[in-house]
Order: sequence, then structure tokens, then C-alpha cells
Amino acid sequence: MSQPEESEQAPATTIDANAVIAERVAHLYSQLPISVALTFVVGLLATYELWELELSRLVGIWWGFIVVVSAASAALYVAYRRADPGVANAKRWMRWLSVCVVATGVGWGLAAAVFFPLNSNEERVFLTLLLAGLTSVGIALFAASWPLFAGYAASIVVPFTYVLATSGTRLFAEIALVLPFFYMIMVGISHRLHHVLASGYRLRQSYRRLTEEHHALNLRIEDQIQELLDAQREIQASGRKLALFSERAPIAVFEMDANGTILDMNPAAETVFGHAASELVGRNLIRTLIPQGEHALDQDWWSEFAARRNPEAGIRARCVRRDGLEIVCEFSLTPLVNEAQDIVSVIAQCRDITQQIEAERVKKEFTSTLSHELRTPLTSIIGSLQLINTGMFGTLDQDAAELALVAERNAQRLLDLINDILDLERIDSGRLSLNAEDVALDELLQESVVLNRAYAERFGVRLKLSAEPLKVLVHADRRRLLQVLTNLISNAAKFSPEGGQVELSVSCTDARVQVLVEDRGPGIPQEFRSRIFGRFAQADSALTRKKGGTGLGLAICKRLIELMGGEIGYADREGGGTSFHFRLPAQAMPARVLH
Amino acid sequence: MSQPLLRVLCVEDDDDIRRILRLSLEKIGRMSVELVADPTQAIDSMIASRPQLVMLDWMMPGIDGPALFRKMRENPDTRAMPVVFVTAKASQRELAELRALGAAGAISKPFAPKDLPDQLRAIWSALP
Repeated sequence: MSQPEESEQAPATTIDANAVIAERVAHLYSQLPISVALTFVVGLLATYELWELELSRLVGIWWGFIVVVSAASAALYVAYRRADPGVANAKRWMRWLSVCVVATGVGWGLAAAVFFPLNSNEERVFLTLLLAGLTSVGIALFAASWPLFAGYAASIVVPFTYVLATSGTRLFAEIALVLPFFYMIMVGISHRLHHVLASGYRLRQSYRRLTEEHHALNLRIEDQIQELLDAQREIQASGRKLALFSERAPIAVFEMDANGTILDMNPAAETVFGHAASELVGRNLIRTLIPQGEHALDQDWWSEFAARRNPEAGIRARCVRRDGLEIVCEFSLTPLVNEAQDIVSVIAQCRDITQQIEAERVKKEFTSTLSHELRTPLTSIIGSLQLINTGMFGTLDQDAAELALVAERNAQRLLDLINDILDLERIDSGRLSLNAEDVALDELLQESVVLNRAYAERFGVRLKLSAEPLKVLVHADRRRLLQVLTNLISNAAKFSPEGGQVELSVSCTDARVQVLVEDRGPGIPQEFRSRIFGRFAQADSALTRKKGGTGLGLAICKRLIELMGGEIGYADREGGGTSFHFRLPAQAMPARVLH
Repeated sequence: MSQPLLRVLCVEDDDDIRRILRLSLEKIGRMSVELVADPTQAIDSMIASRPQLVMLDWMMPGIDGPALFRKMRENPDTRAMPVVFVTAKASQRELAELRALGAAGAISKPFAPKDLPDQLRAIWSALP
């Protein structure tokens, strides 16, 4: 704040000095008409009195001079008024004024020098009085600038003193002796007046500036008051909004002090805990609502929280309602601290999650039961059929053997479906944990080809791995990545024409590895493309019945690849067919790229 | 293990699966199999028949596989017996925990009866 004020003041002082000069000039000009009138009238009077035949030529010339000077002065005055120059060019106006005033003085000096010696004593006294009067009136007229007065008076007094001293009359000679003293006294007085007036001008300037600043200050204060009023209105509006949020929110909100004593609560808090606000305000939240032995939110926890002063979220704790019913709530606690880092209040938001937890538990139990209860009979069915199909327990006739194979194959399909549903459920509930390790992708691809060769041969399809797959490591779950590859390969095989070929290849760009699985099938129908990675997505259900598949494979692939930090997609293959790809971050660059 | 795997004890509550286990291990695997239906009697049977390897079902009424396994670890007579879990539901993390406790391996349910003896022998030969 202080610096800009200083920089404002520096130019202000220069403006001040100029303004003082301008004030002085304005003051002098305001007296100019009096000076002009006085010069003209007194000049006319002197001309009339001194007019004699032998002097008429000299008096005429002198009168002419006075008229010219008066006219020039009057013209200067008019010009000054018209220009109304203010502060600008004050010095120039002062110079022009000085010329006129000194010329007037010179006029009167000439009168003294020329007419005094030529006249009788009577006219000499008349002249002396006129000149003395004009000189002293000069103080009143020109004292605003003492050099101006000094110049004016000197041009009268110097020639006048000279003619008095040389007049040969003792009385006049004596006046000539004191006249310089009068002159000095008058200049001295005008000098003092000059400074008194100057301080007056400065005072006026300061006053004007004070007034201006005061005005500016007033404007600023008005602005600030307006801003404050606006801010107040905004605060009131947001306060109302906040109150509305809290009042109408379905989430319980408490305001507490640093010790956990409830200061305020919203209607939802009343609903959740069954207490009226009046029953809880002033009581400690933990002691009142949290049962003994709940360590997720106890006094020790609160002490640590109050010491840390960090917001906490997702705290699950058992709570007791007013009717004694135990519920589970999830709390978010936010401490509000002041500048001294003291807790002003703590805002607690809390949600009754009892039903949610129960739903989670039921879902988990259901999945687990589904898994066990379906697999146990399937174990017996598949096991029995497999044992029959080994032929170790006697041979069946051809039809029966065929039916046993059909039964085994379909039992296996059912098992695949259950496994896929469980996989999806585990992924979606975040319960699928990946065993990430460094996996050599080329070896994994070879393994997947070996594992799926038999399956592909059922459709008369050959699997082909590109000439020399890149040696590259990815950080992934080996078993799950194999699951993805198996899915893509079996899809490709299923949709390839008999005698067709599925090609696998690996490429590496920008620290990402891409695996391609390409088939020469009919391609993906347009209308199916948008939901290809969805659940139970199958383009042609007749084909499914013929060739198998759960319709969950690609949905699982997409989720697994994304869990491993990659992405999956497909494109039409040039020359027909589809090309599926997935990309994973490369763990180590292939040697070929490095060298 | 240098000795061939010949004597196995299976604790399994489901009658049908017990029957398949017997056919698989006896007929295909040429092993002698003792089947225990009641898990609460399992430790007594183990002490009596001293099998080379024990197969435990994961989910059983009364006492489940992991609990039975922990009981075996507490008993000096059964502590050293290698244990293979047969499970339909164990997560990777739970299996890792049991391996850390000393389980020899796990076979997921449903298993293929024709491959089961080979799977068991693979686990057996990997034991120290």
C-alpha cells in the first residue's frame, strides 16, 4: 500500500508548484483591469492638467504611449480570460504581464523625467502626489509577485528620484533622499506579501487536493461498502443454500466441537438415529451413539483425529438408535480449523449402510453357495461321464457312447457358464485379485496355441503363430492372460470357415505390447458391434447352439485386460475376417528393439 | 518323494463324489483309497490308516477343510501328512494362505477323474 502512495505523491508536488504559479498569475490578471483603468484615468487627468502650448507635443506623445500600453494590457487581459489556461503556460502569461506592467511603470517614469523639470512648483507637487499614489497603489495591485512590483516601482522611482535630486529645490532634494528608502520598504513589504500570498496559494492547493482525495476516498468507501453488501448478500444466499442442502439431504449431518460434543444436526440425523435434535445437542456423539467396544470410532480414535486434523472418510462403525436397534453407519468427518490450526468445529456426515452391508453379505453368500451347490453335482456328472467315456468300465454301443459324449460336452458347457458368471461377479465386485508377475509373452502364446489346438481342430481350423514372436515381458496374471488368449482363439476358431487359419502375432510400440488374433471368418455384423463386449453378447444364437460359448467371454476378456492396465479392441481384417487385439504395458523391451 | 504314491485318504461328504474318487484313484490310478464321509471322524481314521497323502474337501458340514487342516497341524500324529485341497470356491489368496501354512496343493472342483491320479502324483513328486 505505501509504495503506490509515494509514487503518486512525487508528481503531485510538481503539479503543486506549477499550480501555485498559476494561482499567482490568475490573481495578478484579476487585478489587471483596475490597473488599466487607473492608468488610463490618471493618465487622462495628467494630460489635461499638463497640457500647455509649448509642451503639447510632448504631452501628446506621452498620452499616446499610455493609451497604447493600456490598450495592450486590456488586450492581454481579454486574451488571458479567453484562453482560461489553468495551470498550462502560466510562466508565459506571467512574462507577457510583466512586459505590460513594467511598460506602465516606464510610462509614469517618463512622465516624471520629462514633465517634472519643465513645470512650475505647483504642477510639480501635483505630479509628485500622482506618482507617489501610483507607486503605492502598485503594492496592492502587483504584490502577488514581488519582482513585478519591484520592476514597476523602480521604473517610476529611479527617474523620479533623479529629477527630484537635480531640481535644485531643497525640499525636493530631501524627498529624493528618502524616496529610495520608501522604495526599499515597499519592495520589502511586497516581498513579504508575495510569500504570504504564496503560502495562501499553497494552502488553497492543499485544501483542493484534500477535497479531491476526500472525494476519491468517499467514492472508494462507497464502492467497498457496496462490495461488502454484495458479499453479505452472497453469503446469505449460500448460507441459505447450505442450510437447504443440510436440511433436505438424506444424509445425516452433525456439527460438533473439538471434543465431539454435538452443536447442531439436520433432520436426516434425527431420522437415522431416532433422536430429536434437542436430545442430542450438547451431548457427546461417540458416548451417545456409538456402543462400547466399537473401536472403529471410539474416544481414542477421536483424540488421534483431533490431533491430526485431517478429514477422514469411509469410517464404518456400529451405532445405536434411540430404540436400541443397532445399525452400521459410514462416517465422513471434516475438521474445520482456524488460522491458529485450532479446530473450530467438526462436520460429520453419516449414512445408514446397514441394508447395504446386508445386501453385500447376501450377494456374497449367494455367489458362494451358487458356486458350491452347482459345482458339487457337476463334479459328479462330469466325473461319471468322463469315467464312462474312458471306456475302462466296459464299452457302450455306438449311439449310447455318442450320447454320453454329448452329455459330457454339455455338462462342461454348463460348468464354463458358471465359471464365467462367477468370474464376472468377482471382477465387478472388486474381489478378483490378480497374481501379477513378469510373463514372457512369446512363451505364453506358444502355450495357448498348444492348449487350444485340439479345440480348433474340431472346427477344422489351424492355429498359426507368426514366424518369430517378439521376446517381451509383460507384468500380468499368467493364468488370467492365458484365459484371455484362450477366449480370443476359441472365438476366432469358432467363426473361421472350415480349413481356415487363425493367426497370432505380437508387436511392440511405445512401451506397449500388442497381441493380434486374426481370423478369416465372416466379420462382425454391424448391428452387433456396439454390444460385442457386453454380457451374454452373441451375434447369432443359432450359431451358439451349434458351436457353444457362453456369450460372456469377451466381457470377461475386456475386464481382465483393463484390470491388467491394458485395452482390448477389434478391427476388420484386410481381405476379410476380424482382427482382435489387446495391448499391455511392456515390462522389458525386446532385445531387437534395444540394439 | 522317492516312494510311489499308493495310499491316499479322502475326506469328502458327498456320496457321489466319494464314489467317483474311488473309481478314479483305484481303477485309473491303481492306488488304495480310504474314504471318510464324516470330517469329525477324519483324524481318527488318519491315525489308524496312516495314508501317504490326505485329500480334503473344502466345504463340509460340521468342520470345513481349512479347519480340519489346522486341527491336523495341531495333532503330532497327523502333523506331517501332506494335504491336498479339493475346492470349488477358494480364492487365490486363500489358497496362498493355506500353502503358507503347509498345504501341499489344491485341485479345483470339478476335477477330471481320468486326470486326477496324475495330478496327485505330480503334487506328490514335487514334495521335498
